[in-house]
Amino acid sequence: MAELVVDNLQMHYRTREGDVRAVDGVSFTVAPGRALGIVGESGCGKSSLGLTLLRLLPDNGRVVGGSVRLDGDDLLAMDEETFRRRVRWRRISMVFQGAMGALNPVLTVGGQITEAILAHERVSLADAERRARELLEMVGINPVRFGDYPHQFSGGMKQRAVIAMALACNPELVIADEPTTALDVMVQAQVLEAIAGLRRQRQLSMILVSHDLSVIAQMCDEVAVMYAGKIVEYGPVEEVFVHPKHPYTQGLTQAFPDIRGDRAPIVSIPGNPPHLADPPTGCRFHPRCPLAGEDCARLEPVLDAKGSPSHRVACHRVAEDGSVAEVKFG
Amino acid sequence: MTGTYFVRRVGYGLITLFVVMTFNFIIFRIMPGDPVSLILNPEFSPEVRQLLREMYGLDQPLLTQYFLYLKSLLAFDFGHSFYSRRPVLDELMARLPNTLMLLGTAFALNVVIGVALGIKMAARAGSRLDTGVTGVSLFLNAMPPFFIGLLLLLAFGYYWPIFPVRGTMSVPPPTGQWAILLDRIHHLVLPVTAVTLSGFGSWYLYTRNNVLGALGQDFVLTARAKGLTHREILYRHAFRSVLPPIVTLVFLSLPGVITGAVITETIFSLYGVGRYLIDATLQQDYPVVQGCFYIIALAVIICNFLADLVYGLVDPRIRLR
Repeated sequence: MAELVVDNLQMHYRTREGDVRAVDGVSFTVAPGRALGIVGESGCGKSSLGLTLLRLLPDNGRVVGGSVRLDGDDLLAMDEETFRRRVRWRRISMVFQGAMGALNPVLTVGGQITEAILAHERVSLADAERRARELLEMVGINPVRFGDYPHQFSGGMKQRAVIAMALACNPELVIADEPTTALDVMVQAQVLEAIAGLRRQRQLSMILVSHDLSVIAQMCDEVAVMYAGKIVEYGPVEEVFVHPKHPYTQGLTQAFPDIRGDRAPIVSIPGNPPHLADPPTGCRFHPRCPLAGEDCARLEPVLDAKGSPSHRVACHRVAEDGSVAEVKFG
Repeated sequence: MTGTYFVRRVGYGLITLFVVMTFNFIIFRIMPGDPVSLILNPEFSPEVRQLLREMYGLDQPLLTQYFLYLKSLLAFDFGHSFYSRRPVLDELMARLPNTLMLLGTAFALNVVIGVALGIKMAARAGSRLDTGVTGVSLFLNAMPPFFIGLLLLLAFGYYWPIFPVRGTMSVPPPTGQWAILLDRIHHLVLPVTAVTLSGFGSWYLYTRNNVLGALGQDFVLTARAKGLTHREILYRHAFRSVLPPIVTLVFLSLPGVITGAVITETIFSLYGVGRYLIDATLQQDYPVVQGCFYIIALAVIICNFLADLVYGLVDPRIRLR
């Protein structure tokens, strides 16, 4: 259990076309034992955010401002060696898309879990292997498969093995980046079940990065909606998805089919997300926004509590009491 | 590894060998020039001529000749050289050690230097050191070994004579086993250096590119996230994952060690297999050429077989069946 406080985090990629502001002044808090969902289109900076927190950025990526604190420890100020030893996997671990090659094809699955334990704890190889077997069992994989190679696992098993690996060192916070994207629906349900169960058991804090609203709705307590490197709406999952305020969030929820409700047509948001080397002025969503006015192109809206204190939104068209026009796309 | 896989690979190898032997037989019989004329003195009378033909079995029908040929090759009996009149096998065995010492040593150095350097530079790709090492490797790789050999001879054999310029041992040889060994090594330094300098580059580039590609894989990101050290990520994850193609290449290149390096052997006046084969070809010394081809084919087939086996050992995705 740990509290993660991210304050005004800014991360840029240096490219030939200039600096790409992938994470641009993002702030949020993950309270102990809570799950935060981060949702947005491809290229909105949500995956970069996860990589920034574990300091796994490629050479051209760098943090240019802000802070990340885990229970008060400034993670960005730590030297690399200390961060590697004390934080990576031990306090914050990550669930990557296992089906897409997060496991090394020429090493055994069990060995890859074992090495994570041995990297951080002074235990014997036998003890580490015993624990790796327990972890596999915990995610519903028969421990006799310990010595199997990734290609001998199905997609769902690989993903569960990746989850087992993420829990190997009893982390306080798990970042899951699109953990179920490459899986079919049945397997996706199994994997999500496994994550939810383990989280309850271990009181884990979690950040779940996904473009899939239903996954976030099912798994998370709070949600942050990202657009073009910024959080545009932030609040409890129910609040945000049932009463979306930001026109972009409204668009996202309309673009998603509801199997229980009426057969409403699926509407997509016209246009494309902006290139982050040269984002639009003012509100970054204004070129695609049906409600946009002259002020939207000029003034950048701030993430404000409007109407309810826990539900914050960055939009000029949302009134002080939190009311907003319903947006129709298409 | 299953038994059937083993048996089948051996079967394929034998079929290949048989095909090579057959071609080897046909080629030398459709080539222009009568080999008999080479060993026969024109002064000989027709009776003697006939006697010699019978002795070499050339009076037999072609098919019989073919089966006799197969039988002798399988027994490593390559006949006698037309020139030296000595058994081909003896002649080859006298030269093989020289070639093996030169090319075997150089091959080992090529692989070790190239692979080790490739891993290190992949880890710091884009740095000044990497750019420099890659540039130098490319440059040396583009230089033929004989040119580097000549430069080395000029520098360290002539202007600054610290290494011998020819042969594999001093004449007369020194006394004492250690002295002989040192003398051999002393003679090998320049030729081995020449072959290594021009040869390690391809191993370097191949390894560097493969490891660099592996470093961009998702599983390397996972390994970093797990908090493994640079060393563990580089060797246990990145290099280990590209080991299969590198090991395969090692085995596929191995036959080159016995085929010899014609020009290098000539420049350093080493009596090796490469020079022997070229001389024999030019002199139409067919038994020698046939013998060499057979041994080379055998080496290629055996090494291919080993490559298949080892690939199965280092890459778990390959099931041998």
